[in-house]
Amino acid sequence: MHRKKEFIQIVKENEGIIYKISKVYAKDIEDQKDLYQEIVYQLWKSFDSFKGEAKISTWIYRIALNTSITYLNKQKRKGKQVSIDFELLNKVDEQDLVLEERMNILYAYIKELNVIEKGLILLFLEGKSYDEIATITGFTNTNVGTRLARIKQKLKNQIKK
Amino acid sequence: MQLEEMKTLWSEMSKEVEKQKSLTDKLIIDMTQERYTNKFNKILIYESIGAVICFTAAIFLIVNLGKLDTWYLLTFGIITIIFLLLLPVLVLRSISRIKRLNIATNNYKETLVGFARAKKELLFTQRLGIYLSFVLVLVIMPVTSKIVDNKDFFTMEHSAKLWFFLPVLFIFLFFFSRWGYKCYKSITNSAEDILKELES
Repeated sequence: MHRKKEFIQIVKENEGIIYKISKVYAKDIEDQKDLYQEIVYQLWKSFDSFKGEAKISTWIYRIALNTSITYLNKQKRKGKQVSIDFELLNKVDEQDLVLEERMNILYAYIKELNVIEKGLILLFLEGKSYDEIATITGFTNTNVGTRLARIKQKLKNQIKK
Repeated sequence: MQLEEMKTLWSEMSKEVEKQKSLTDKLIIDMTQERYTNKFNKILIYESIGAVICFTAAIFLIVNLGKLDTWYLLTFGIITIIFLLLLPVLVLRSISRIKRLNIATNNYKETLVGFARAKKELLFTQRLGIYLSFVLVLVIMPVTSKIVDNKDFFTMEHSAKLWFFLPVLFIFLFFFSRWGYKCYKSITNSAEDILKELES
C-alpha cells in the first residue's frame, strides 16, 4: 500500500515528462493517450526493480523512451482506454495562442526526425547534460555530442525550408 | 526558429504543462489496471488464433495419417503437418521476443537494437509464412481429398469447379503476398536503417 502511494506520487510529480514524451512519439491524440497509459503501466511494472540508484527522473525517462520505441509501428490496441483529459494539456495556455502555435510547429519538426534523433533532441530540449543523456540512452558522451550536432544541423535545414 | 529559441520555447511549455496537472490517484490506478487486462495486443491475439487453428488441423491430420495409403500422399501429409506445427511456433516465438525486451533495465540504444532485430525476425517469419502458403495449398489438397472423401487426388476425375477455383486461389495468393511483401519490406528497411545508424 505504501509502495502504491509512493508510485502514485512519483507519477503525479513527473506527469509532464510522460505527457511530452508521448506527444513526441505518438501519431495522433488517440495514440498519445494510449502511449501515455502504456508508459504509466510500464512504470508500475518496473517500479519494483527501481532501486533508487539513479535519479527518479532518469529512471522515468528511460522507461518512457523505451516504451515509446517498442510502441512504434505496433498495431493500434483496441482495448479500453482510461479517459485522460488531454484537452487541458493540449491548450498550453488559452491566453497565449502564439505559444501554442509555435509549440505545434516545434512538435512538427521533432516528429520529422527518426526514432533515435527524437529521443536525443527531447532530452536536449529538456535541458539534460551530455552526461545525463549518455546515461539514459547508452550512447557515449562523445557520440551524444556528435549526434546532437547532426540533429541540430538537420533541424536548421528543416527550418530554412 | 533557432535552436536556442526552441529550447526556450520548450522550457516555457514545460512550465505550462507543470501547472496543468491532470492526473488523480484514481486515474493512475485505473490506467495500470486497464492496461494490465489489455496487455495482449491485437497481433498476438490474431497469431494465437491462427496457431490454434493450425495445431487443430495438424492434430486432425496426425489422427488420420493412417488413411494416407500411398507413399506420395503420406509424404504430402507429413509436409503439411510440419508446416502447420512449425510456422505458428516460429511466429509466436518472434512475437514473444519483442515482448521480452527488458524496458526496465535496457537503455535507449539497447532497446532500439533489440526491437529492430526482433522486428526484422518477426517480419522474416511472416514473409516466409506467406511464401510457404503457396506450397501448403498444393500439398494440402491431395491430403484432405483422401482423408475427407477417400479419393486419390492424382487418379480421380476432377470437376470443372476445381479448375476455376485453383487459378482464383493462386491469383488471390499472388496479390496478397505482393501486398504483404511491400508492407514488410518498408518496415524491415526502416528497422535496418536504425541498426545501420546505431552502428555508425
